[in-house]
Amino acid sequence: MAPTPNRNRDQDLFATGSNKPISRRRFLKSAAFAASAAILAACGGTPAGQSASTPSQAQPAGSPAPAAAATAPAASGAVQIHISYPDEAGKKPKYVDAAAADFNKAHTDGQAVVDLQKIDSDSYYTKLLLALGTDSAPDVFHVSGGKIAELADGNLIAPLDDYLKKWDGWQHYPDAIKAGATYKGKVWAIPYGLDTRFLYYRKDVFQQAGLPQDWQPKKVQDIIDAAKAVQAKVTNVIPYVLYGGAAGSGGTISHGFLPLVWAYGGELQNQDGKWIGSSPAILKALQYYQEVFVTDKLVPAEVLTLPKPWTTMREKLGKGELAMLFEGGWVRGGWTSQSSEAQVTQTVGTNLFPYDNGSGTFTVGGLGTCWFIADKSQHKDLAWDFIARWNNPDTVAKLNLEDPHPVARTDAAEVPEFKQNAYLTMATQSLEQAKFEPMSSNYAKVQTAIQQMTGRVASGESPAEQAMLQFVDDLKQAVGDSEVVTQS
Amino acid sequence: MQPTRFYVAGLSPALLLLCIFFIGPGLWAVYASFTNMALVGPAAAHASFVGLQNYAHLLRDSAFRQSVGNSLLFVIGSAVIGQFLFGLGLALLLEYTEQAGIAGGNLVYAAVLLAWVSPVLISGFLWTAMFDYYYGTLNMLRVALDMQPINWLGNQAMLAVIIANIWRGTAFTMMVFLSGLKTIPREIYEAARMDGSSAWDRFRDMTVPSLAPIALIVLLNITIATFGAFALILTLTNGGPGLKTEVISLYAYHTAFSSYQIGYGSTIAVAMLALNLVFAIAYLAMLRPSTRSGES
Amino acid sequence: MRPRFGLILIIYIAFAVIILFFVTPFLWLFLAAVDPQAKAFIHVPERPTLENFRLLFSDFGFGTALGNSFLVATSTMFLTVVVVAFASYTLSRWDVRGKGGLMYGLLLLQTMPLSATMVPIYGLARTLGLRNSYLGLVLIHATIELPFLIWVMKGFFDSVPRALEEAAWMDGRSRARSLLEIVLPVAAPGLAVVAGLSFLAAWSEVLLVLILVDNENMKTVPLKFYETFRTQGGYVEVRYEVVAAMALLYLVPVLLLFLLTRRYLVRGIFGGTRGA
Repeated sequence: MAPTPNRNRDQDLFATGSNKPISRRRFLKSAAFAASAAILAACGGTPAGQSASTPSQAQPAGSPAPAAAATAPAASGAVQIHISYPDEAGKKPKYVDAAAADFNKAHTDGQAVVDLQKIDSDSYYTKLLLALGTDSAPDVFHVSGGKIAELADGNLIAPLDDYLKKWDGWQHYPDAIKAGATYKGKVWAIPYGLDTRFLYYRKDVFQQAGLPQDWQPKKVQDIIDAAKAVQAKVTNVIPYVLYGGAAGSGGTISHGFLPLVWAYGGELQNQDGKWIGSSPAILKALQYYQEVFVTDKLVPAEVLTLPKPWTTMREKLGKGELAMLFEGGWVRGGWTSQSSEAQVTQTVGTNLFPYDNGSGTFTVGGLGTCWFIADKSQHKDLAWDFIARWNNPDTVAKLNLEDPHPVARTDAAEVPEFKQNAYLTMATQSLEQAKFEPMSSNYAKVQTAIQQMTGRVASGESPAEQAMLQFVDDLKQAVGDSEVVTQS
Repeated sequence: MQPTRFYVAGLSPALLLLCIFFIGPGLWAVYASFTNMALVGPAAAHASFVGLQNYAHLLRDSAFRQSVGNSLLFVIGSAVIGQFLFGLGLALLLEYTEQAGIAGGNLVYAAVLLAWVSPVLISGFLWTAMFDYYYGTLNMLRVALDMQPINWLGNQAMLAVIIANIWRGTAFTMMVFLSGLKTIPREIYEAARMDGSSAWDRFRDMTVPSLAPIALIVLLNITIATFGAFALILTLTNGGPGLKTEVISLYAYHTAFSSYQIGYGSTIAVAMLALNLVFAIAYLAMLRPSTRSGES
Repeated sequence: MRPRFGLILIIYIAFAVIILFFVTPFLWLFLAAVDPQAKAFIHVPERPTLENFRLLFSDFGFGTALGNSFLVATSTMFLTVVVVAFASYTLSRWDVRGKGGLMYGLLLLQTMPLSATMVPIYGLARTLGLRNSYLGLVLIHATIELPFLIWVMKGFFDSVPRALEEAAWMDGRSRARSLLEIVLPVAAPGLAVVAGLSFLAAWSEVLLVLILVDNENMKTVPLKFYETFRTQGGYVEVRYEVVAAMALLYLVPVLLLFLLTRRYLVRGIFGGTRGA
């Protein structure tokens, strides 16, 4: 019989033992203290509670006197408006600072304070949302135009229509863009550098495959045919990449599924804003996925599971290891910064996406990042003034030259340096054929459902028809039965 | 000074901090789980009390069920089987080699410990590089050996995060078992060997009973801790691809900070706490009998 | 009694495999940090350079972050040790009804996910003016670690026989003095463990810093690391050499701490607690 080894005393950690009862008074005191601390924490921590307590001051339209007068310390007379934005690419700070300096020179009643957050936009957005529910929200902030719906529905941003009526810059914006920035009848932000997407292809690889250098697809099948040619004749080059599944993130929709649906004449939402769960266009789009992923294996399977497929695939196209890719216009900036504008123009061709009925081409437009006025801002007039100053033709043109994007203002496109850039000029013009993604608070849920649907088809798990039926169910579960319709 | 007063004073700072910064927010989370609070969308403008609606939704939520399954798989794979057995094995090996006079054990010990003390962000980063599909060390090795590269973070995502977690956490179980082994007097083994018992017999009859109590405690702790750990998976796969490695803690995090649904995210967190409670009760139930019988 | 040769061979092979498994990622790290063009695989640079480290301080503001991390981690360590020592000693020695419940509660608290409490912590910190302040960071970092560390330290105190203090109490010494003069020296290894672990935890924490700090000058290393790692991977492929250099510098204090407290860690974290 082995002697009992040294037992770990911790085993009796749950033995309560008897004896010295704690004095009742002390116990109650500590309990009360703990409870009040908990309540304090609960009160302090309720974002909803915060937003209810400080209603935003409504600025009467056209009021000349800024709200500053009410809150400014009498001595200096200057109020501060806080401009907050994240910056990843490093191009914006000098323009923002310039606009702030410009603003400060012109105003004695208010000073612009710039708060540059050097974090990625996702983290920035999280922090911003936490702040927007409180009264320490910035006056002006900078996020993607795709957030308009959820921000507006949350009463977190202020509409700009009253200001736009008196702004002479607004006339220079094409109607398509004005419409793109409108949600529920109001304009919420002014885009400056827009997003477009192109069907990029490697001219050198196409040459080896026996395809024309100035290849232009007229219908969707042309894309598949070109990919097959590359697959047959060129080794060690991926013929084509199409984002699908959850791995592709937003790109699965904006660069994958959505352009296909549009090409086949369909939409994601009908006139009444209901989501379309099944339609001939959706079915064809899924069949396209099936063909390129499963039947012909033109797209490598790992695209569905790589952690960030877009980063890898962009690099591959830039290096000539991938032949065709439908991606954002901003990607080109990555290639030109690694080689040169001339080099890229020589090796990479750009096309818009074809309508399958041969009626023309289109691009997927995006509002890009824009400046917004927080609903909680006490100085909306001043905030607007900053935004108006920022959106001058010169700044818009120069910034979008450095961080290549087509411009929103037509007069910005006329600025000489911008005009000289053939690619950007073409991109700006392509916006006239831009279709924009739907704006809705529920869009994220719809995107998830689309990712799941395309993932199932592309991985071979479901045939197209079955995946579409599942999609209808997923949509209904996500947004509610009444918001989903089917078309035949 | 009266002992009771002393004890209350001793406990107060900790209790104070815990109440304000831990329990308070925790209670708030419970409260939030009954609302539809969100940071964007209509609920951000006006949050309302929705009673048990979130919980009802949770029960129907297939993503939640998947996350529970993933969590169980992850905990069993990396903690219960991985770290526990590997740690035990390492402890036995190291103890044996030390007794037998074989050198090198210290190096092994240090190597294992190194992985444990590294901040979890670093561990995640290191393994992202190791598992990279195109250029990671593992795949480069495979290609060099004429084998197909494995899409670790894609097709084998759960396996990959389990491996990374075993790498990261085994040191703990190893240390606990080592210290447990060291408390067993050498003489009993000698005596048993004289009596002619085999190594396996000695292990079964002496080592196991001695280690059993701390084994259970360690199992309890690593189960609960692994259940709650998520930074490693966040860095490696972010729950992907799709939801294949989305464990409960990540699901709660994503719901709260990617979808900005604070109410529902809190519901998931509360469910997680409840599940932990189940584990804790289960382990403690197994613990008590040995406590009562073993007390000397 | 030396075992036979075959067994020794097997053991050494096992050693080699195990060491390889645990050390390979670090090997990559060391090589990548001095490589001007690091890749994701192990690659010995032809021309090792310290340029990456220089870049960290000039372009990435690493110096400030390092200073902040030290400040916060050390302060957290001191605060935590004091709070934990008193709390766990109390729990170890005080026989009171409800202690079991308290311990149980502590165990459960260890499992509360940060994602559930991040939003209320944000609101609370804002209300109390603790955002963008070192005080706020230290207080909250310390609190997060309390459940686990109290549990650990209590185990250490439990293994110190009461006879020691009881003798002192008989002599008329107060509880406080006997704790300080008699018990603590014996339980010092435990305190070292608590100090080390709390330093480590504060050194590693990223999510809290993300929501509590906006001020560029107050950011700590893990946050900087997280940002560099994530941001770089968005537009272009991760610049492995820079991130590796940062990771290495981030790791060094931890390694030093580990070397210093190895003896105590060997004594073992008795009874209980956290793994991964």
